[in-house]
Amino acid sequence: MTLVKIAPPIPQDVDLQRTYDAIVVGSGAAGGMAAHVLTSKGLHVLLLEAGKKLPIEKELRSMQWPYDHPRRGDAPPGSHSISFNEYTIRKPPYAVNSAYKHVYSYVGTWGGTDYVKNILVDEKNHPYTGTPYAWVRARALGGKTNIWGRLALRLSDYDFKAKSRDGYGEDWPIEYKDIQPYYDRVDRYLGISGHKENLPHLPDSLFQRPVKLNKAEVMLRQKLKPMGRVLTPYRAGVTTDGVKHNKYRSKCFGRGACNRRPGGCDIHAAFDSPTGLIYPAMDTGNLTLRTNSIAREVLIDKNSGRARGVAFVDSETQKSYEVNAKVVVLAASTLESARLMLLSKSDQHPNGIGNTSGHVGHNFCEHVMGPGVTGLVKELVGKPHTIEDGRPGGFYVPRFRNLSDRQPGFIRGYGFEGSSGQSIFPSHTDRPGFGAQYKKDLRDHTGAFISMGAFGEVLPRYESYVDIDPETKDKWGIPVLRFHYEFGDNEHKMAEDMFTSAREMFEAAGIEVIGTDREVLTPGWSIHELGTARMGSDPKTSVLNQFQQSHDVRNLFVVDGSSHVNASCQNPTWTIMALAWRSCDYLTDEFRKGSL
Amino acid sequence: MTDMSSPESLSRREMIGATAAALVTPLLVPRVQAVLNAVPLPPKFLTVAEFTLLDELTEMIIPTDNHSPGARAAGVARYIDNRLAESLEPDWQALWRSGLASVDGLSRELNGIAFMQSTPEQRLAVVTRMAAFELRPATPETEVRPGKAAVEAPAMTPAEQFFAELKRTTVYAYYTSKIGIHTDQNYKGNVYQLQEYAGYDAT
Repeated sequence: MTLVKIAPPIPQDVDLQRTYDAIVVGSGAAGGMAAHVLTSKGLHVLLLEAGKKLPIEKELRSMQWPYDHPRRGDAPPGSHSISFNEYTIRKPPYAVNSAYKHVYSYVGTWGGTDYVKNILVDEKNHPYTGTPYAWVRARALGGKTNIWGRLALRLSDYDFKAKSRDGYGEDWPIEYKDIQPYYDRVDRYLGISGHKENLPHLPDSLFQRPVKLNKAEVMLRQKLKPMGRVLTPYRAGVTTDGVKHNKYRSKCFGRGACNRRPGGCDIHAAFDSPTGLIYPAMDTGNLTLRTNSIAREVLIDKNSGRARGVAFVDSETQKSYEVNAKVVVLAASTLESARLMLLSKSDQHPNGIGNTSGHVGHNFCEHVMGPGVTGLVKELVGKPHTIEDGRPGGFYVPRFRNLSDRQPGFIRGYGFEGSSGQSIFPSHTDRPGFGAQYKKDLRDHTGAFISMGAFGEVLPRYESYVDIDPETKDKWGIPVLRFHYEFGDNEHKMAEDMFTSAREMFEAAGIEVIGTDREVLTPGWSIHELGTARMGSDPKTSVLNQFQQSHDVRNLFVVDGSSHVNASCQNPTWTIMALAWRSCDYLTDEFRKGSL
Repeated sequence: MTDMSSPESLSRREMIGATAAALVTPLLVPRVQAVLNAVPLPPKFLTVAEFTLLDELTEMIIPTDNHSPGARAAGVARYIDNRLAESLEPDWQALWRSGLASVDGLSRELNGIAFMQSTPEQRLAVVTRMAAFELRPATPETEVRPGKAAVEAPAMTPAEQFFAELKRTTVYAYYTSKIGIHTDQNYKGNVYQLQEYAGYDAT
């Protein structure tokens, strides 16, 4: 096996006396991309990451069999993952008075807490308050890209110009043709797998070879065609043919490891920010990395009102530091970047840096989840077992609502993620019974189920927001976020339609529906939070311009999902990276002109 | 195959084996190892009587059939005992202890005799009663809600509540064992696919 086994680059020493060209806060998809683009153009960048640099291959152990793990993947005693019921019945902070030693977000319940216990934050150290919210955070080099779901989709003008179509909210200050070249660059630099469908509302990427479908998926694809709907192989942010310019990543060998656990790929065929972006950036000689560095404030030059650097706390030593730079780029995640801006108060910026509009923390949006369907494909019962989960994802059914039609109950749309086929653990084990017949039934039905669940656009609303809790602080004494967020009428009506249409599609395909989900999951479940520092052309109603540059502070950029004007219903990671690339191109040009 | 769910005891045994190998001639090692393997390790949390009962219950849920060995061969009771022994959750430990007691209680109630002393037919009657809640009508829409227990019956008896936990844990332990994954399920994945991926094209 010729697998990639290249050690990470030797890090440069951090020089806190120096004035860096740029400081990037956060090392996930956005921060990694900023580091890549800026260093490739010769800027000297300091990348601050709040979490540790993990020996990630040892954490993920992608191919480890369950029986080779002492607890079959569970974390050691004393750990707990928050359940749906806890999120629903209680209000945050969820873990403060917990009797458990360590508490993790619901992602730990997917099976395999032990593989993510050092990637996910311990909720006991990271409280938040307000309305119920399933906030999933990963503090480690690479952030959530270490375990992300890999579905890599483009947005279209149905999203960028959604207001022009239905009158709600705001249009983005860009259109598809502005971002398309950057989607292309992301595709080529990182690799993406998929099948061309020529859909105007879900543009194709520059795909490497697609992953395959299972029998049930092929059948559903055929039956959906007459309905004008599409089932396409999972568009995975995974390199299936390899990326020759990157020595840290292998191509995908269809091990299926990424679907057995909360995610992650120990050969880095699935994109992650460290191997995909940060290590190559370090190889330019222009990137300095400091982990365990929790940014707590963007520092202001009192004379000019511009950003002069970042104050941070070392997560291990608790010591405070300041470091200076000519440009500050926030990429700490939608919610953490908003928190940092709101915490950065000064005489010049009394409501937080870049917040004269009062919109920082507001227009908070994401994807609503919950409704879905599980079906039995009778033709597959009792069939011989084959490899069916050797792939980074199952299938995707793109949005079909409010494209040419107008739904009576709601605006915008939703898509379905789904899968079928045999996996390492049999499905539907909660069927009644026990004994020889139960055992035989499980065996015969292995691989005969298909299921899918929807991701729908949550409308951005000014009144959906986060602010700083006046009392509660995290382990490092930094004030925490307080949530003011719930789904509205549009989301609930959309969720009802998800439920109905899911069932309708399975029934049309002759799949016996054996289970349906109608209930909406706790906000946050999609891990697609967006919009808290939106872009726009009007500084009164937006925080950033089309290059993710603060309207107020011209050397401050916010290049993560907080800049998104609406959530669309497509998974955001690829768009986050395309936008960050575009903005960092602009940033460099302005930097060279001396206009920042 | 008996102890794969118990790496701690395995490693202890490997340690003894390694020591033995260092002390005796290589020819003797297989015999020493065979003797060591034949000695059953005492349960860590449960009493021997509780462990024997649990082992029987797991085997009744996933029995050996002509296709594959069952829960006993897969070491399911050993796995559960190990987890109970290291658990920091007294409530969870108590559920198992009282649950196993409730099985004997139900056995006496139905058959007038302790579970392990009863006939196979009598045992089946007890477990069937413990599982009765599964056949009560449930609201279809709540069947597969994520994050919720599969069955939220309002009036479950202690033996029924225990059965739900017992079945869930037994199924998990069995289908994550070598026997469950490879012999019973004949699982083909978790391998490197060096050429084309398995499956069908989207046409």
